[in-house]
Amino acid sequence: MVAPLLELQNIAKSFPGVRALNDVSFTLERGEICTLAGENGAGKSTLLAILGGSLVPDHGAVIIEGVQRQHFSPRQALADGVSIAHQEPAIVPQLSVEQNLVLGRTSRQRREAGKDIEQALADVAQMGFPLNAKASVRGLSPAQRHALTIARALAFGAKIVALDEPTTSMLEHNVEGVLNRVREIAHTRGVGIIYVSHKMPEVMSVSDKVVVLRDGTVNYTKPIAQTSEQDIVRNMVGRELLSFKRQHPVRPDAPVLFSASEVSHPTGGGPLSLDVRAGEVLGIAGLVGSGRTEFLRAIIRADKGSTGAVSIDGKKRRIRSPRDSRNAGIAFIPEERKHQGLVLQVPAYFNIALTADRQFNGFGPIISLRKQVAAAEEAAARMSLRPANVRLNARQFSGGNQQKIVIAKWTWRNTKVFLFDEPTKGVDVGGKVEIYELIDALAKAGSAVIVVSSDLPEIISLSDRVKVMRQGQFVSEHTGDDINEHSLVANAMGIAERTTT
Amino acid sequence: MSQPTLPKNDPGQDSQRTLVNRRPEPSVAKLPRQRPTLNLQALGIYIAAVVIFLIFGMLNPNFLTSGNLRDIAVSASVNAIIGLGITFVIITGGIDLAVGSIASFVGIVSATLMVNAGTSPFLALCAGIALGLVCGAINGLLITKLKLPPFIATLGTMSIYQGLAYVVTNGRPVYNVPKDFVFMLNSYVGGIPVAVILVAVLAILCWLLLRRTVFGQNVIATGGSEETAWLSGVRVDRVKIAVYALSGVLAGVGGLVIVARINAAQTDAGSPYLLTAIASAVIGGANLMGGEGRIAGTLVGALILGALTNGLVLLNVPSFYEQIVTGLVVVIAVALDQGSKGWPLMKKKSPPKKEATA
Repeated sequence: MVAPLLELQNIAKSFPGVRALNDVSFTLERGEICTLAGENGAGKSTLLAILGGSLVPDHGAVIIEGVQRQHFSPRQALADGVSIAHQEPAIVPQLSVEQNLVLGRTSRQRREAGKDIEQALADVAQMGFPLNAKASVRGLSPAQRHALTIARALAFGAKIVALDEPTTSMLEHNVEGVLNRVREIAHTRGVGIIYVSHKMPEVMSVSDKVVVLRDGTVNYTKPIAQTSEQDIVRNMVGRELLSFKRQHPVRPDAPVLFSASEVSHPTGGGPLSLDVRAGEVLGIAGLVGSGRTEFLRAIIRADKGSTGAVSIDGKKRRIRSPRDSRNAGIAFIPEERKHQGLVLQVPAYFNIALTADRQFNGFGPIISLRKQVAAAEEAAARMSLRPANVRLNARQFSGGNQQKIVIAKWTWRNTKVFLFDEPTKGVDVGGKVEIYELIDALAKAGSAVIVVSSDLPEIISLSDRVKVMRQGQFVSEHTGDDINEHSLVANAMGIAERTTT
Repeated sequence: MSQPTLPKNDPGQDSQRTLVNRRPEPSVAKLPRQRPTLNLQALGIYIAAVVIFLIFGMLNPNFLTSGNLRDIAVSASVNAIIGLGITFVIITGGIDLAVGSIASFVGIVSATLMVNAGTSPFLALCAGIALGLVCGAINGLLITKLKLPPFIATLGTMSIYQGLAYVVTNGRPVYNVPKDFVFMLNSYVGGIPVAVILVAVLAILCWLLLRRTVFGQNVIATGGSEETAWLSGVRVDRVKIAVYALSGVLAGVGGLVIVARINAAQTDAGSPYLLTAIASAVIGGANLMGGEGRIAGTLVGALILGALTNGLVLLNVPSFYEQIVTGLVVVIAVALDQGSKGWPLMKKKSPPKKEATA
C-alpha cells in the first residue's frame, strides 16, 4: 500500500498556560481537499503553524509520503512541498506580482522559475483575476491579493497546500471561480489541500472530507457526502464548561447605565448601537475579525476616525480620546495585555497608578510614592493579587495576576463602565475563574460590563445577554436559554437563517 | 465611588469554585516593606567608573589629584547637561540628534545678543534657554503632529539649526563675551566650579521630575509601552513634545556653558557633543528601545568619558586613540547591558525543543 501524502500522528503542542493541541491525528491523500473546521481557539492555527514548520510539536509525528519530518523550519516545510496561504496575505506591496510569486525562493530556483510563474499567473487568471506579472501589488484589491497568495501556495510543485480562510475578502461570484480552480488543481496535479473556512456553503461544495477540531483534539472526521452543515457545527461546539455561574445576575428593574449609539470604526464596521444596564454583563460573541475589538476601541476613541456618541447615566459624554473616556468613567481592558494593558518593566503599583492622573498622588503633579504604593496595595488586595507585592515588576506576575493589575488600574477610579476584550486570553483555568469572579463583583457593584470573547463557555457563563457580531454588524441578540453554543455559533457563522427555514 | 467588593468566602459559593485554590489571603498591610531589588547592572557602571579612575590613578600619579579631578568634572559637565535631556528622550523611545546644533545655535545667538546688541548677560541667558525650548518643541511637534520618526525629524532639524547658527554671524565666531557672563557659568564657588554645581542642581531636578512627578511616570510609561499609556489616558503627544522641549533647553544650557568656558561662541561648538552626550546616556543604562534610563547613570557615563579623555592625555596617548577608546566603551557598556538580559543572539542558538517544555 502506498503511504498517504500526509499523515499527522498524535500531534500535541502547549504554550505557557494553554494546551493548544492535545492529540491530533489525521491523513490527507493526494488530490484530496480536507476541510479543517473548529471554533476560534480550537487549535487550527497552531496545527497549520506546525505543518508550515514555524512551530515544533511537543509530541507526535508529521509524516510526508512515508517520511517522518525530523527538522521543523519554514524552509524545511518548503522543501517538503508544503505551502500555506495565510489569512492575512503575506505579500510585499512594494514588489511586483512576479517578485511576490518567487518570494522566499533561492536565487537558483528563481532562475528556473519561469514556467512556474507562468503557471501561477494562468491559475490566477482562471480564478477570475487576470494579473500583469510586472504590476505592482500595491494597486491590487484585497481579493486580488488573496488570489495571488493562493496561486503562489499552489505553484512550484507544492504537494500539500493549506489555505487559511482564503475567501474572506472575496465576493460570492469570485469565490466560485477560485474554488473551481483550486479543486481542478488538486485533482489534476494530485495536490492535497487543507482548507480552513468558516463559510459552511463553501466547505460543503469544495471539500472531500471534513475534520473538526475541538479543544485541541480531532472530534469528528467524515467524508463530506455523509455529513451536513448542522452536523459539523454541532461537533464544533460543546467545549468543556467551567463550573462557574454568576452569583449576581442583573436585576430586571436595573436602569440603563451605558449607551453607545452609531459607533463606527475607521476600518469599517458599524454604525452600532447598544445599551447596557447597571449590573449587567453583556457578552459580544463572533468570529475573530468580525469587528468586536474595533467596536470597543471606537467607543473609547482609541483610533483616529472613529465616530459615535456615548452617554452614561443618561448624560451625553463628549469623548475624543481614551483620556476623555477614562475621565467619563469607562475602562478598557485590552486583549494584548502585555503590549496594551501593561508597562512590563515597571512595578505593579506604577501600572496601577497609570490611570490616576493627579488625584491620588499627593501634591498636584508631585508624587508621594508612599501614597501611591499604599493606594495600589489597596486596589491589589481587592483583586487578591498574588504575590501581593505591588513593588514587583509587572513582568514577574502570571497571566491571570497581570490581568488583575490591569483591572486594578481602573477600579481605583470612579469607573462605571468596563469594556473587556478577551479577558482570559492566556490565563490558566484557575486564573480564569478568579477573573470571572471579579467581573461578577464589578457587575454586582452596579457597573455596566461588556465582555468580548471568543471563548464561548466564557461568554455563556458570564453574560446576562449576548449579542453576536458578523462582518461588523450585530446579527442577533440572545437572552436566557437562547444563550447556548449552538445558536451563538450558528449566528456568528451566518447559517442561522438556513436552519430555521 | 463604586468600589467593587469581592465576594467573601461564604459557603454557598464554594461549590462554584472548586477550580480555584483559595489560600487565605495574606494581609497586605502586614507585609514587610521590601526594598527594590538591587540592580546589579546599575551597580556595574559605578564599579566600572571606580576601576577606570583607579587604573588611570595607578598609571599616572597626577590623575587623582584634586585639581585634575576638578578638570575632569568640568570637562564632563557639558556632556552631562546635554545627556540629561537625551536621557528623557531615550526613555520615551526616541532620539534627539539636534542637541549639538541647538547648543551651537543658542551659544551663538546669546553671544551675539550680548556682544553686538548689548543685552545684559542675564537676559541673554534667558533668551538662549527660551531659544533652546523653541527648537526642542519644534522637534516634538514634527514627531507628534507630522508623525515623523524621531531619527528623521531631528536629523533634519540638526542640519537646519546648524545652518541657522552659521547664518546668524555668517559663520564667524563671536569673541569678547562679557566678563559677567563668563563669571556666571565659569567661576568657582567655594572652590567648586559653577558648571559642576549646575550639573548637580540640574541632575537633582531631573531626577525629581523623572521619579517623583506624574509627568515623569508618563515619560517612562510612554517609552515602556506607548499603546498602554495611550489607552490608560496618558496624552502621549504632549509628553513627547515636552520631552523634546526639555532636551532643547538642556542642550541650550550646555551651549551657554561652552561659550563661558572658551570666552567665545563658535558656530559649530556644540556638534562634537552630540555623540558623546548620547554615549553618556547609553553607558549609563538608557535603553534605545525606551522605558529605561537613569539620571545618575548618565552622570557617571559622562564622567567615564571625561576621565578617559583626560587620562589618555596625561598618558601622552595621541588624541586619535581617544575616539577609539570612547567607541569601545560604548560598545562594551551596551553589550554588558544586553548580557545582563540574556543576549538574545545567544538564546536563538539553543535548541528549539527547549521552549516546548512549558
